Amino acid sequence: MLRILDKLNPQALRILALLLVVVAVLVFFSLVVPNYLNGRLFNRISSSVAIMALLATAQTLVIITRNIDLSIGSTIGFVAFATGSLITNNPDLGPVILVAYAMGLGAMFGAINGALVAFAKVPSIIVTLGTLALFRSALVEYSDSKSISTANLPEWLVSFPNTVLWQWGQMQFRAAFVAAVLVVILVHIALTRLRAARKLYAIGSNPEAAEMAGINTRKTVFVAFVLAGALAGLGGFMFLARFGTITVVAGLGLELKSVAASVVGGVNIFGGSGTVIGALLGAVLVDLIDTSLVRWQLVSEFWREAVLGVLILLSVATDALLMRRLMAARQAREHRKAEAKIAQELASTNRGGAE
Amino acid sequence: MAQPIMQLRGVSKSFGMTHALTDLSLDLYPGEVHALVGENGAGKSTMIKIMTGVYQPTAGDIHVDGGVRKIQGPQAARDLGVAAIYQEPMVFPDLDVTENIFISARSEGLFRRPARQARKARDLIARIGMETDVDQVASGLTLAEQQAVEIARALSEDVRVLIMDEPTASLSAHEATRLRGIARSLAAEGVAVVYISHRLEEIFEIADRVTVIRDGSHISTRDIAEVTPDGMIAEMVGRDVGNYLNKAPSTAQDEVALQITNLTQSGVFEDIDFTLHRGEVICMAGLVGARRTDVALSIFGVEPATSGTIRVFGQDHQITHPRQAMDAGIAYVSEDRRKLGLAMPMPIRANISVATLGGFLNRWGILNQDAEREVAENYRTRLNIRTPDVEIPVGTLSGGNQQKVMLAKWLNMNPEILIFDEPTRGIDVGAKAEVHDLIREFAAAGGAAIVISSDLPEVLALGDRILVMREGQQMGLLTAQEATQERIMVLATGQAETMEAS
Repeated sequence: MLRILDKLNPQALRILALLLVVVAVLVFFSLVVPNYLNGRLFNRISSSVAIMALLATAQTLVIITRNIDLSIGSTIGFVAFATGSLITNNPDLGPVILVAYAMGLGAMFGAINGALVAFAKVPSIIVTLGTLALFRSALVEYSDSKSISTANLPEWLVSFPNTVLWQWGQMQFRAAFVAAVLVVILVHIALTRLRAARKLYAIGSNPEAAEMAGINTRKTVFVAFVLAGALAGLGGFMFLARFGTITVVAGLGLELKSVAASVVGGVNIFGGSGTVIGALLGAVLVDLIDTSLVRWQLVSEFWREAVLGVLILLSVATDALLMRRLMAARQAREHRKAEAKIAQELASTNRGGAE
Repeated sequence: MAQPIMQLRGVSKSFGMTHALTDLSLDLYPGEVHALVGENGAGKSTMIKIMTGVYQPTAGDIHVDGGVRKIQGPQAARDLGVAAIYQEPMVFPDLDVTENIFISARSEGLFRRPARQARKARDLIARIGMETDVDQVASGLTLAEQQAVEIARALSEDVRVLIMDEPTASLSAHEATRLRGIARSLAAEGVAVVYISHRLEEIFEIADRVTVIRDGSHISTRDIAEVTPDGMIAEMVGRDVGNYLNKAPSTAQDEVALQITNLTQSGVFEDIDFTLHRGEVICMAGLVGARRTDVALSIFGVEPATSGTIRVFGQDHQITHPRQAMDAGIAYVSEDRRKLGLAMPMPIRANISVATLGGFLNRWGILNQDAEREVAENYRTRLNIRTPDVEIPVGTLSGGNQQKVMLAKWLNMNPEILIFDEPTRGIDVGAKAEVHDLIREFAAAGGAAIVISSDLPEVLALGDRILVMREGQQMGLLTAQEATQERIMVLATGQAETMEAS
């Protein structure tokens, strides 16, 4: 068993483990909640994951470089509102322009974060803690205490998230979910196949060495924040389409959920490793647990957050422990191999010397 | 002679009021191994950083192929063919070997081509005579392999000047030999190799020319044939250090300070058994991976032993936390200054007082910084820590001086028993001699010392008795009289049985 696990790379192992946990959670709740496993569950979770997946992907890009973006919830709120008011005032605008507007706006917020982190050298947790409040205040000012309402949005926008692309039994694959998964896959391919993407990992893995290896660390970190902003902007568009009604509190608290999804998905909070597929699964897991707890009579609403917190801690702790065990076992084996080799070579030189 | 590839012409570098380099000139020719020696803090690191574009000189020029060049950053240096490898390799622990080698390659296109790169990586690794698996993640590599990865990275970009900064300091003798072979063969291919080392025997083995620098100034550049070890040391230190590798007389007394009986940590080491007297120095010898540090850490309570007893001055102690070890009078000076020993961004003063903070509180429980400073100043003179001020961050000191700050921190606790883990690794001859003197002084004053060292001449010079370990086993406890380098190696490599059998 260990030998097979040995062959797999750690990231594949993580994704496998996450899938196992998702299955375990499904089995557990299907035992305690009557009529739990059905298409409606899939539809509900896939709808809300569509937004979380984008945010977790954005967050992962930044975390890989050993940074964090806490302003993502405010970005999503602002973008959702601004995009909503743009279409309200110009109902004839097409989807392409609207999506481009949302992503461009998000990228601009990302650029503000990125510039402060990469060029002004302020730690990202402080920068984005500041912009978290700043972007939210900008939204309050911009909205002038009005809100966007579904009634003013064009029909195509409101119906887009729930358009069923194809159906399998009760399970509906809706447009928003499919689009989000496509984006995640696209980013995944870019992260694993593009040469430039390795620089993100290199910087998170060992910033000093990255500098010495001639990588332009500042530019790379800046680009990571801009990309994350653009993805958050896309998330803002999805948010608008799904909820229709946007107030100044839109997206509040999503920054921490996106961090939770990434970390549960095996992205190392200290940078250098992690995949967006993992982050997607992390988002699914967090949402699955959250949604399922609502239906579990035993847990009152009051305790739901606590149970969720405990589950997140448990999953991360198990993951860390397991990984450390596996890595230690692997290293020990390699160490023994190396020792045997050194001993062998020493023995042969000793014999050579004796002659 | 051919035209030099790279020349430094009257290069100076100051940081505020400190002059790190003054009017330094150096010529590097293709095909030579040019050794650079000097004490810690002599300015070698600053020089490397100027050559690799990390720092810009405050005065003077750098010529490449006869023309003046400004090297604006590490990437510019790489474009000129200048690369450096360091004692602590600059690898990316999360990336695999191939990715590590080609991380900053420019001619590789937009998409990664893992198969093609892996093939090229294998070729490069083979060219330097290693057999590392190129798909392995770098965090699992040994130090020697990590350095090989760095060399391969330099080779992947047509390196012309390769700077090796104490590359063998943390390697076993076997690995070090191989690394020197690589350096020589690169020189034979026309690369100018700059080789920095504190191991003098190594310099005589591979260098063509030797440049000595001291206090940021150029002292001499000579062909190796014209250099003698004593002359070189005298030039480096600016004084005669004497032969510090002679065995000093033992100061051991009868009273037992530490008695270790059958100490075991399951799966790590077992049945460690020895008695340490007041005034005695026991050296622990063994290869890397012999688990000497693990024994030290369990005596110090970091990783408590699973069975066995620790008696300190006749009293049994259950030591499960460093605090308990410190209360029993045991201190541990760690090998890894960066990870376990020092808070690099904090001032020297705070680093010295951190283990004994209780003694610096005034009657309202507030930290008395004046007292801290006084103690720090005291150690600065006593241990000859070279710094203008005890308020500067420890991270800015050279390795040898950092080591002295570590010693000060633990000496300030007035421990009865001190465990030194590789106290002279990566520090220069002058500082080594000083550290040896300190350990002997400590023992002569009635302290008991355990010194873990991989440097055999050092083990023989310091140890009143020598405990040899191999793979978690205690292989023998030799007295200074019966110990020789050969005997220690035979025990450390587990050749004892085979030798007797044959």
